[in-house]
Amino acid sequence: MNRIAIAALLGAYVLVPLLLGSNNYVMSLIVAALVIGGVALAWALLGNLGGMVSFGHSAFVGVGAYTSALLTLKAGLPVLAGLLAGGIGAAVAALAMLPVLRLRGPYFALAILAYAHIFKILATEWSTVTGGAGGVSNIPSFPVLAGVDFGTKTGAYFIGLTIVTLFAFAYQRIRASHYGIALRAMHGSEDATRVVGVNSTLLKAAMLLVSAFMAGVMGAFNAHYINFLEPDYAFAGLWVTLPIVAAIFGGYRTIAGPLLGAMVVYLVDQLVFKSLIPTGHQLVLGALLVAMIIFSPRGLLPLLRGKKHA
Amino acid sequence: MGELIAQALYSGLLQGGSYALIALGLALVFGTMRIINLAHGELVLLAAYIAYTMESKLGLGPVAAIPVALVVVCVASSTVYLLVSRIREDREINSLILTFGIGVILTNLILLVWSADVRSTSSSWLQEAFVLGPLYSMRSEVLFFGVSLAMMGGLWWWLSRSWYGRAVRAVSSNRDAAKLMGIDPGRTELVSFIVAGVLAAFAGVALFSYGVIQPAYGAALTVKAFIITVLAGVGSIPGVLLGAVLLGVAEALTVTLASSALQELAGMALFLLVLFVMPNGLFGAAGRRG
Repeated sequence: MNRIAIAALLGAYVLVPLLLGSNNYVMSLIVAALVIGGVALAWALLGNLGGMVSFGHSAFVGVGAYTSALLTLKAGLPVLAGLLAGGIGAAVAALAMLPVLRLRGPYFALAILAYAHIFKILATEWSTVTGGAGGVSNIPSFPVLAGVDFGTKTGAYFIGLTIVTLFAFAYQRIRASHYGIALRAMHGSEDATRVVGVNSTLLKAAMLLVSAFMAGVMGAFNAHYINFLEPDYAFAGLWVTLPIVAAIFGGYRTIAGPLLGAMVVYLVDQLVFKSLIPTGHQLVLGALLVAMIIFSPRGLLPLLRGKKHA
Repeated sequence: MGELIAQALYSGLLQGGSYALIALGLALVFGTMRIINLAHGELVLLAAYIAYTMESKLGLGPVAAIPVALVVVCVASSTVYLLVSRIREDREINSLILTFGIGVILTNLILLVWSADVRSTSSSWLQEAFVLGPLYSMRSEVLFFGVSLAMMGGLWWWLSRSWYGRAVRAVSSNRDAAKLMGIDPGRTELVSFIVAGVLAAFAGVALFSYGVIQPAYGAALTVKAFIITVLAGVGSIPGVLLGAVLLGVAEALTVTLASSALQELAGMALFLLVLFVMPNGLFGAAGRRG
C-alpha cells in the first residue's frame, strides 16, 4: 500500500512541472515545497522510527547548507559532491547532539532546539569562515550535465526530486529492516525491548544521524538553488515550523504523508493564504496544526484511507 | 573590573527576577500536568502588546493595562487548556506539537495586529535611572523585580493555603487519589492554566515597561522559561527564582566579560550542562526525567 502511495505521489511530482513548468513563480514555489517535503520526511523519520519530536531540524538544514556552500565556493568541490558533503556535515553536527538522546519528550524536543540556537549563533559569530551576518553569496548553481542545464528551476527541481525519491526508498528499506521493526517495537515499551537485547540508544542515535543527513542534503540543495545564504535564513524557524506542519498534516507515520503534506500545505499557504493575509498568514498553518492534532493526529492520509480512530 | 562585575551581578539579579515571573506560569503547568506549554512566551507577549496599545492609543500607563491583559490572557490560556484536554492519544508528544501550533497562531496574530516593528514604552518615568550606591539600573527593572517577588509570594500562598492551590498539588502528585478525594482533576487543571495566565499577564505588562518587544520574541521567552524550569527542577518555587537568577547572572556576566552576541549562548550552554550533569535540576525531586 505504502509503496503504491509513494509511487503515485512521485508520479504526480513528475507531472506537475511538466504541466506548470512554464510559470516561473509557480515553479519556484514547487521547488520550495519539495525542499520542505524533504526536510519533513527527515523529521518524520526521526519522529516515526525514533519516537522523538525535534524542534531543531533547522540546525541540520543550516549546517548542511553552509557546509556545501563553503566547500564548493572555497575548496572548489563539485556541486553534486557538495550535496553529499552537506549531509555528512549535518550528521557530524548531530554527533554533538548524541547526549540529548538520553532525554525524552519535551526535554529532548527543547534540548535540540537549544542546539539549533547555538549553531545559528556560531554561524553568525564565526564570520571569518561563514561571512557572519552578511552571509555567503555567489554559491554555485547546479551544473550542465549531458547537455541539460540543471541550473534552471525545472532542472534543479528534478535533482531535488531524485534526492527525495532516494530518501523515500531508503526510509522504506530502513523501516522494513529488522532495525526498523525493533524501533517500532520500542514504541510499545522501550524497557521491554531493551530486556530482549535491543540497544535502543544505538538505534535512536542511528535514526538521528540518518535524519540529520537527509535534512543536511536538503539544506545544501536549497543553498545551490537560491545561491545565497545568511544565518537568519539558513537556520530560520521556518525550517522547523513548515516541515512539522507538513508532516503532521500528511501523516508522519507514513512515508508519502510528509511529501504530500508539504506540497499541499506550502502551495495553499503561498497561493491562497498569503494573498488573503499578507502578513501573518502562517496563522493558518498554526490553526491547521492544532486542528490536525485534535481531529486526526495521524494525518490526512490515514483519514482518507478511512482508518479513523477515536 | 571589580565594579563591572558587581554591576553585572546586580543587573543579572534584577534580570533574573523578571525571568522568574515569566517562568512561573510555565513551571506551574508543567508541574501539574507534565505539559510544556510552548505558547507560554506568546501569552506573555500578548499581555505586553496590550500594554503597548493602552499606552499608545489611550495614553495610559502599564498598570492600567493589567485588568485588560488579565482578561484576554486568561481567556487565551484557558483556550490552550481546552484544546490540550481534547487530545486523545500520545498526550506528551501531541501536546507539544499542539501548543507549538498555538504559539505559531499567536505570533502571527500579534504580527497581524501590531506589525513586525519593535515596540517599547515611551514613559520616561519608568526608564529613569535608579541608583543604589555604585550600582545602576532602570526604575522599571527594580519595579519588575518587586512585582516578581510579590507574585511568587502570592503563588506560594495560593499553593499552600487555598483549597484550589492544594487541589492543584494533589492532582499533580496523584491524579487518581485526588479524584477519590472528591477533586475534579479537569477543573483543577483548568484552574492551574488560568493562574498561569494571570502570571503571564503580569509578566507581559512588566516586560513592556522594562524592555523592547517584537512579535518573534515569544518563542525566545518560552525557551528561557523552560531553561529556568529545568534549572529549578520540577515543583519548586524558590527553585524557579534561583534558576532564573542563575540564568540572569550567567547572561549578564557573558555580556560583561565576552560579548553581547554570546549572551544567548550562555543560557543554552547552562541549560544543556544542567540537563546532562544534573538531570533532575538543581532543586528538583528525584527521578522524573526518564
